[in-house]
Amino acid sequence: MDLTTFPLLSLILWLPVLGALALFLFADARSIRVTALVVTLLDFAASLLLLPRWTPDGSMHYQEVLAWAAGLDFRYHLGVDGISLWLVLLTTLLGPIVVLFSWRNVTENVRSFFFLLLIQQAGMLGVFLSLDLILFFIFWEFTLIPMYFLIGQWGSGRRVYAATKFFLYTMAGSALMLVVILLLYFQTGSFNWLTLKEAGLDRTLQFWGFLTFALAFAIKVPMFPFHTWLPDAHVEAPTAGSVILAGVLLKMGVYGFLRFCLPLFPQATAIFLPWIAGLAIVGILYGSLTALVQKDVKSLVAYSSIAHLGFVMLGVASMNEQGLSGAVLQSVNHGLSTGALFLMVGMIYDRRHTRLLAEFGGLWRQMPVYSALFMVVVMASVGLPGLNGFVGEFTILLGAFRVNPLWAALGTLGVILAAWYLLAAVRGLLHGPLDNPANQHLADLDRREVLVLAPLVLLFFLIGLFPALFFDKITPAVELLLRDVGPVIGR
Amino acid sequence: MAQQALFLIMAVFTLGMALGTVTSRNIFHSALFLVGSFAGVAVIYFLLEAEFVGVAQIIIYIGAIATLIIFAIMLSRSVTGQNGSPMNRQWAFAALGAALLFAALAWLFSRVDFGSTAQPVPEDAIALIGAGLVTEYVIPFEVASILLLVALVGAILIARERHS
Amino acid sequence: MNALDILQLLSPELILALTGFVVVSVDLAMRRRDEGRTAATIALLGLGGALVATLLLAFAGTSTVEAFTLAIDPYSLFFKALAIVSVGLVILASISFMRGKSRYLGEYYALLVFAALAISLAVSATNLVMVYLGIEFLSITSYILASYFRQDLRSQEAGVKYFLYGAVAGAVMLYGISLLYGATGSVDLATVGALFSAEGDQRLLGIAAIILLLAGFGFKASLVPFHQWAPDTYEGAPTPITAFLSTASKAAGFAVAGRVFMVALPNLVADWTAILGSLAILSMTLGNLVALKQTNLKRLLAYSSIAQAGYIVLGLAALNPGGDFDGVGGLLIYLLAYLFTNIGAFLVVMAIEQHSGSVDLAAYNGLIKRAPALALWMTLFLLSLAGIPPLAGFFGKFFVFAAVVERNLLTLAAIAAVNAVVAAFYYLNIVRAMFFVESEEQKPVSVAAGLSAALAISGIMVLVIGIAAQPFITWISRSVEMVLVSGM
Repeated sequence: MDLTTFPLLSLILWLPVLGALALFLFADARSIRVTALVVTLLDFAASLLLLPRWTPDGSMHYQEVLAWAAGLDFRYHLGVDGISLWLVLLTTLLGPIVVLFSWRNVTENVRSFFFLLLIQQAGMLGVFLSLDLILFFIFWEFTLIPMYFLIGQWGSGRRVYAATKFFLYTMAGSALMLVVILLLYFQTGSFNWLTLKEAGLDRTLQFWGFLTFALAFAIKVPMFPFHTWLPDAHVEAPTAGSVILAGVLLKMGVYGFLRFCLPLFPQATAIFLPWIAGLAIVGILYGSLTALVQKDVKSLVAYSSIAHLGFVMLGVASMNEQGLSGAVLQSVNHGLSTGALFLMVGMIYDRRHTRLLAEFGGLWRQMPVYSALFMVVVMASVGLPGLNGFVGEFTILLGAFRVNPLWAALGTLGVILAAWYLLAAVRGLLHGPLDNPANQHLADLDRREVLVLAPLVLLFFLIGLFPALFFDKITPAVELLLRDVGPVIGR
Repeated sequence: MAQQALFLIMAVFTLGMALGTVTSRNIFHSALFLVGSFAGVAVIYFLLEAEFVGVAQIIIYIGAIATLIIFAIMLSRSVTGQNGSPMNRQWAFAALGAALLFAALAWLFSRVDFGSTAQPVPEDAIALIGAGLVTEYVIPFEVASILLLVALVGAILIARERHS
Repeated sequence: MNALDILQLLSPELILALTGFVVVSVDLAMRRRDEGRTAATIALLGLGGALVATLLLAFAGTSTVEAFTLAIDPYSLFFKALAIVSVGLVILASISFMRGKSRYLGEYYALLVFAALAISLAVSATNLVMVYLGIEFLSITSYILASYFRQDLRSQEAGVKYFLYGAVAGAVMLYGISLLYGATGSVDLATVGALFSAEGDQRLLGIAAIILLLAGFGFKASLVPFHQWAPDTYEGAPTPITAFLSTASKAAGFAVAGRVFMVALPNLVADWTAILGSLAILSMTLGNLVALKQTNLKRLLAYSSIAQAGYIVLGLAALNPGGDFDGVGGLLIYLLAYLFTNIGAFLVVMAIEQHSGSVDLAAYNGLIKRAPALALWMTLFLLSLAGIPPLAGFFGKFFVFAAVVERNLLTLAAIAAVNAVVAAFYYLNIVRAMFFVESEEQKPVSVAAGLSAALAISGIMVLVIGIAAQPFITWISRSVEMVLVSGM
């Protein structure tokens, strides 16, 4: 098969949709689960095919273009570069993991659940792969729907409130985006990202365009002070939903900044960069401090996401090679480690139906495998050298330091706080006496659960020990971005 | 000049009658006021040398429609009885709105010159109307008859079912 | 042009008129024994014939033919098809819904067919006399239909209110027509367009005429401030009639407004687009804000349809001949998407009303458990109304917004975009009730065959227009081109 002409990206994008439709061929829950797993595994395999023939030149690969309406420059245009590559792979990897995780603990409306999971995956892949702004917008808006139902139907506690808040917040954020996309079209005659980034838009349009896009993306990331939907949505969502929310959905915001805000509106970026950096640092400190006082492990992880995404945005705001590359890699890292944290919180929640730290303690003795894996995941999240988190955070701080040492100093404070709150979680769950009778008969992880976590843990080490494998593909794309945008900003 | 004066008189008469129609407490009186208003309009048509429309106005509106209305009222309720005030709380706003609209239009007409489009009335106006109805306006003419048929069906429906 | 040509050009109207008469007569002959089923069948067959005739004319490449105060052009054919389809869906749903609710179902179906005829005539009218006649024809059929439940006071109120508003709106519109006639000595749209200049005081006269005419068109389209009848009439009228009033009848208002303004007042385009733009802002904002508080679904959809009228009229307000997005195209695409979406939503309302006798939001609680198909269809329609891609409603909004942005009316675009979020809130509230609120009632909802068929057609069209919008857009842009060429 000739991979240069084969529509690989379309395969990756539409396979989950076909799989979602295929679910209707089966009546029993087991076949539905198996189908979902097979489809997501196939999708992951398909996305791995992107790697072998990858030429690290920073350009858009595997492009596919189909004209849509006559007379309108609106195209089905897909492409992937070093910035989106790892996000695509992250999405397809988390697919089978959440399916496997949900194997036993989703028992009602199994078909609907996996259907929504699969089309959610397609929607997110569409966001990362679209090079046409209308296509991007369609996928961007579309991702709201499955997540709304996932949270509202299978969530816990105030799930409906959380789902509605999530939907309306993000929709409000992107309300004006369509207007700006149209403005761009009438200025340049194109909806195409490749054309638009060369177009040299005028200053006013850049200013308003940046503000509008940044609002949509900042809500998605979420950046302080647009984060208030996140704790609700993350905490109330079912585990699979939380993993996807934290793992991929938030990255759509970061990706939006990297893909659209910076290259399309460089002059405006120059104006707003300090603001982004400021909000990112506030986010790091706010997220960390709030995480410190959480009594519920899931809320703790949710607030840690705000802090971690603050790091990522600090990398973006640095606007140099280290900062941007670090931001891309750290996005993936956060997806892996926070995904793993949510999974592990989900695993004890499935056993005890509570997530309150006060209910636990001394799990070391009862669940050694769980505890060991939990330590690894926490260490990855904290940024222990040798694991993935370290590489990402260190690179970002390096990038930030070169721009403004104060940023780096405040960021480092965030690293310390992260160690504090995550170790507090470790202490609350694993250490101390095993004095709660309810915990004394907890079963350790079974094979399925270990299988769910294994690929993530392996990747922690792979990224931590061989970061070059990943940076090799990210850096050329970042360099290309900086070559266009850097001079405008003065970096 | 005399024509103008006559028009003014008829306009005031028509308006007065119309006002009586909507303000009278007795619905029978309202119907009689309506006849007066129709007649005033007919006179205005004659003043405009639109004899055909004027005659049609008298025959159809006064001769047929108003008579029917009066019959309907006499058959359905007591003629002498008071029917309550037709005013509701919003009459002042409605009056104000109407007055403003009148003022705006009056101001407008004082500025606009319609003279350029006025044409003399053709000699054979009635023949022209007749020809028009079977040539250019044949479809509106036919549509009007379907419309009347539909209205008739509707009227029967509305009138009948309550007693069934 | 010989007689045969004329018959062919008027075939949709002739078929509709004939169908109406046949339905009344057959029903009379049947002595109302089968609860109007025969009448409905004949009506549907006739509508099908008329639709085929319309589409044949539309795709035969017939260019504009104007004769006898009517224009047979792609623009009018588009709206005829829309009206016929909409009435067809309404009749399909009425077969079970109206059964037992009225003794005079034959006349009911006949009136609906005549309403389709009235719209066909109104949207083709090239003459102010015909415009007025068409709109009055539509109004009179609508008054009767709105008050069809003789025993139900709300239905009576709906009819009376609609009639009073309609009579005043019609009279005001007629006054506007008289102004145009007075200024030009003609009632032919094209002649008025040629003679009516925008200079000096004539411009003032033109603006007055626009506002007065809008009373008539805006009344049909339920644009603020001519909307006051809509909530009560929508709530009180039989639900199939509400569906009709909110789609086909509304579309007729926009179609006539579009043609009259474009053809008769091209020199005042700056004025009427500005007026329509402000009405759009009022309609969107007022409709959405009031809809937020509604718990009666028919009333909620009434306010939603006022807000939607605001979006739709943006297409005319952003008229831009020769642009990439000319505005009229957006208007047509929006109306096409809106037709199936809104009828679909009302079909679900009918199904629930038939089942529970209620149109309250509470009747929708837990619908996903009792009637999953209905809940899913309703979700589809609500998301389409909210303009979420990739459903039909998104493309409507997209093309309208595009025209607005191309004309650089950015404040208008921003207000519309923010309004879309407000609207999402109350649409989502219905979804929330259907999916996430537990219901005390557990009885599954059964849906009659005709209603199911109508639902399926609407739902599939909402999906098809969304996913494969292209053929529709091509057809529409062709229709628009010809109107713009002839009009402006």
